Amino acid sequence: MTFGFADRISRLLFLGAGLALLSGGPAAAPTIEFTDEEIARIASHGPWPPDWQGDPGNRASGNPAAIRLGQSLFFDARLSANGKLSCATCHQPRSGFQDGRLTARGLARGTRNTPGLLNVRHQRWFGWDGGHDNLWSASLRPILDPREMGGSAARSARLLNASPSLACHYREAFGKPPTADDPEFPVNLAKAIAAWQETLVSPPTPFDRFREALTDKDAAAAASYPQAARRGLRLFLGRGQCATCHAGPLFSNGEFGDIGVPFFVRPAGVDPGRQGGIKHLLASPYNLLGDHNDDATRGNAVGTRHLRPEHRNFGEFKVPTLRNLTLTAPYMHNGSLASLRDVVRHYSELDEDRLHSDGERILKPLMLSAGEIDDLVAFLETLSPPAPPQPPLPPPGALPCPARR
Amino acid sequence: MKSYAKRYPLAGRRWRQGDGWSVLLLAIVGSVAASAFAACPPTVADGAKLVKDGLQLAWRPVIGGSPIAATAIPMARHFAIEVQVCSGATPSGATLASLDATMPEHRHGMNYRPRIVAIGDGRFRAEGMMFHMSGRWQLEFEVQSAKGSSRLFDDVRVR
Repeated sequence: MTFGFADRISRLLFLGAGLALLSGGPAAAPTIEFTDEEIARIASHGPWPPDWQGDPGNRASGNPAAIRLGQSLFFDARLSANGKLSCATCHQPRSGFQDGRLTARGLARGTRNTPGLLNVRHQRWFGWDGGHDNLWSASLRPILDPREMGGSAARSARLLNASPSLACHYREAFGKPPTADDPEFPVNLAKAIAAWQETLVSPPTPFDRFREALTDKDAAAAASYPQAARRGLRLFLGRGQCATCHAGPLFSNGEFGDIGVPFFVRPAGVDPGRQGGIKHLLASPYNLLGDHNDDATRGNAVGTRHLRPEHRNFGEFKVPTLRNLTLTAPYMHNGSLASLRDVVRHYSELDEDRLHSDGERILKPLMLSAGEIDDLVAFLETLSPPAPPQPPLPPPGALPCPARR
Repeated sequence: MKSYAKRYPLAGRRWRQGDGWSVLLLAIVGSVAASAFAACPPTVADGAKLVKDGLQLAWRPVIGGSPIAATAIPMARHFAIEVQVCSGATPSGATLASLDATMPEHRHGMNYRPRIVAIGDGRFRAEGMMFHMSGRWQLEFEVQSAKGSSRLFDDVRVR
């Protein structure tokens, strides 16, 4: 029951108001109190971090040698065709594994904003269009894509065989030497990189501490959460209806939506979003219905097996997590919104004419006041850690092998 | 090749006193076993009950093989729904032709297409369900029986 907590807060407020009157000073701004219903909804956005669960589709998940190999490969530009691009070129640790650009730049200029990788292991679909149903498949594509890193199995095998440390990690992780003609080889590399990315979990935030204080009924601990953020949180849960999609500990339902962000791409073309993602996913030999899924039960392939393509998928993009937003500007699938204030304004002034006629009907312009925009931004900022997480940056090749366990 | 007498031991045998009790006992045991397996009419444990066109339909959500309350369906997580169709105290012989869910206020449905599996004795399981948004979801069960097609509806609120 949260009644006792709310009651205590009320009494404290009453006492505070009385003291203010006695002292003759100005009355403090009223503290935002949350109802039991609101507290239950706030509680649904945690706890953070979630418990560790390995990826059943990735035999390298949680394997120390694979994690070490994956970490080394992530930062190694020799995987790319020009020897200058690594995964970390776009996924930069100091920026929440994003690059700060509007759209990605590999060997060619991309059309989508680079997604951050913190907490990536908790996603169901990968990429803005969900063109991948697993992290290792999503990690393999940019390495091989001629517009991104332009690598190949042969180039990767040469790299590993020229490096005793990398080859050693590979043998430890997969029980065989790296060879380009092994059809599992590129998949294994991607599984190692995925295993490392699974370790990228962001620390608790001011919101997480507030949530914990609420659920623990600790009024003193809850008191440090800013009033503006509380007002923003109430808007987020209530009139804004943001939590309808930005749900759960990740602040995302992991699905897709069209929120009126243009899908035209230069020089002339459109980004079909989820519609294209589903086509790509179902055609991919690396999806969870295929032979490379290490979960023999295929219990992890429920989403892929039951996918229902719809007309409305055109122009839908993934509902992004709201954690670590302060690290990952600019925003939206095309990086078209520079700041969190711009994002909130977008929802405040939503262009209904741009939305799909058969799309989501609850999307309406929120018509927020300037103060309400400030409050929502204040709340969103509390979903990021006060200081960026420490980047895990041992130099490539410096990791010991055999691994010390 | 067995002899005719060994293959059909009761053939041509005279009815003996006591045979009636055996048959009755077998009938009772068979009936109890059948009704326990079929579990018609549905009980509270079978979930929410809907009635239409002489059919009783009970449904309950299942996650990881365990039934959960309809009010506890988690948002944005795959689950299954087990459905039982009865006609009074016996399985109806009707089949669950389809099960779907929509959000009427949002004017869209699920992102996933459930697959119906018959699991015996008037029971079915719809696999691959997911409610990806909070709010009111309306379930639509289409049941095909000898009388034709019946559509039954129920509401679920996901938080």
